[in-house]
Amino acid sequence: MKILYLGIAAAILALTAWNLWTEKDWRKQATAAMVAIPLLLRVLLIK
Amino acid sequence: MQKNHISAAIISILTLAACAVAGASFLEHRKVEPIVRGPGVTEVVKLSAWYAGLAGTPADTDVYVFRGQNPGGSMLVIGGTHPNEPSSFLSAVLLIENASAESGTLYVIPRANASGFTHNDPQEGAPLAYSFTLPDGSKRTFRYGSRATNPVHQWPDTDVYVHAASGQTLSGNETRNLNRGYPGRTDGTLTEKACYGITEMIRAEKIDLSIDLHEASPEYPVINAIVAHERAMPIASQVVLGLEFSDITIGLEPSPKNLRGLTHRELGDATDTLAVLMETANPSQGRLRSRTDEALVLTGKDPYYVKAQKLGRLYVPFDEKGHPIEERVGRHLTAIGEFAFAMSGEYPDRPIELSGVPGYDDLGAKGLGAFLRTAD
Repeated sequence: MKILYLGIAAAILALTAWNLWTEKDWRKQATAAMVAIPLLLRVLLIK
Repeated sequence: MQKNHISAAIISILTLAACAVAGASFLEHRKVEPIVRGPGVTEVVKLSAWYAGLAGTPADTDVYVFRGQNPGGSMLVIGGTHPNEPSSFLSAVLLIENASAESGTLYVIPRANASGFTHNDPQEGAPLAYSFTLPDGSKRTFRYGSRATNPVHQWPDTDVYVHAASGQTLSGNETRNLNRGYPGRTDGTLTEKACYGITEMIRAEKIDLSIDLHEASPEYPVINAIVAHERAMPIASQVVLGLEFSDITIGLEPSPKNLRGLTHRELGDATDTLAVLMETANPSQGRLRSRTDEALVLTGKDPYYVKAQKLGRLYVPFDEKGHPIEERVGRHLTAIGEFAFAMSGEYPDRPIELSGVPGYDDLGAKGLGAFLRTAD
């Protein structure tokens, strides 16, 4: 189950990164970045 | 390069920098601070010695053993069930660094939920750590942990937590609460395995008395109290009277039979031990608290709780003096001494005699740092 949830978190992280790099408005890019931080920390099993 | 790619690159670099800073802080939380072995510790054994399934996992933890020169009964003190309740952990530390067993055997687990010490609770604003200055001027620092097992070690939580032995249902976040998982099981979660290890230890060592140390919010009804399994009620009653003679007021609550998974219920039902749990008053974990910082953890002074007391909202006296850590640890340690005394009186063939345990008045007069040993 843990592996499955880590996979889901990694997929959402990839989509968030894709959004960050395709978004035209820098404020929405910043929003994507803030979403990515906890996802990245969880995927790396840090927090 | 497109304009939005320039901003994306800058924001990505800032994001990675934020992750690096936050990640370093979180990883620092996993370092285990030393506990200095005092003169009474005869062995330090891993909990996995009683349940091998814990070996190599973040739930494995140290058990400090004090074997007295004279035979007698046995007592287990469980500290750090909830690592956001400092008097529980610190009482265990002070026992390890100061106490000796003259008769019988004392077992002390300072970090019962070892995983819970490796992180903190989000959105609580709790300090990362708190420190004490020792008489030689050195400092000892301990982390302020989380109530529950680290989700990095046990994830995800179920929506509803089902207590395996009874079928009782609780909120999903209780899945990682050590004090909802007893007696534990080998095919359960990491938290349930830790519970199983402690239960197995009690069974194997035939421990006569088990004391689980806790703290509670001042607005929580069960506070400054002993919660006792029905078999432990007679001895707990003696302890209440003994504490009253020391001017320490403490309540006595029967362990509810329909509240499952807690030490005072499950350890008493699943083993022959006399199971009790004790609570002190910790404003730093309460919902009505003001600024949550190291000072609040250590002094227990909080103007919001003074106001709440005046409004009749609390279950414990609360004035400008607060509830300092010395008072909270002193209550636990004095009660442990009283339990040993009561055991020896009630079961003369299984005496437990402890020495070197810091006293309530000494802690208040000298401060807790005076009873910590210098760490190398």
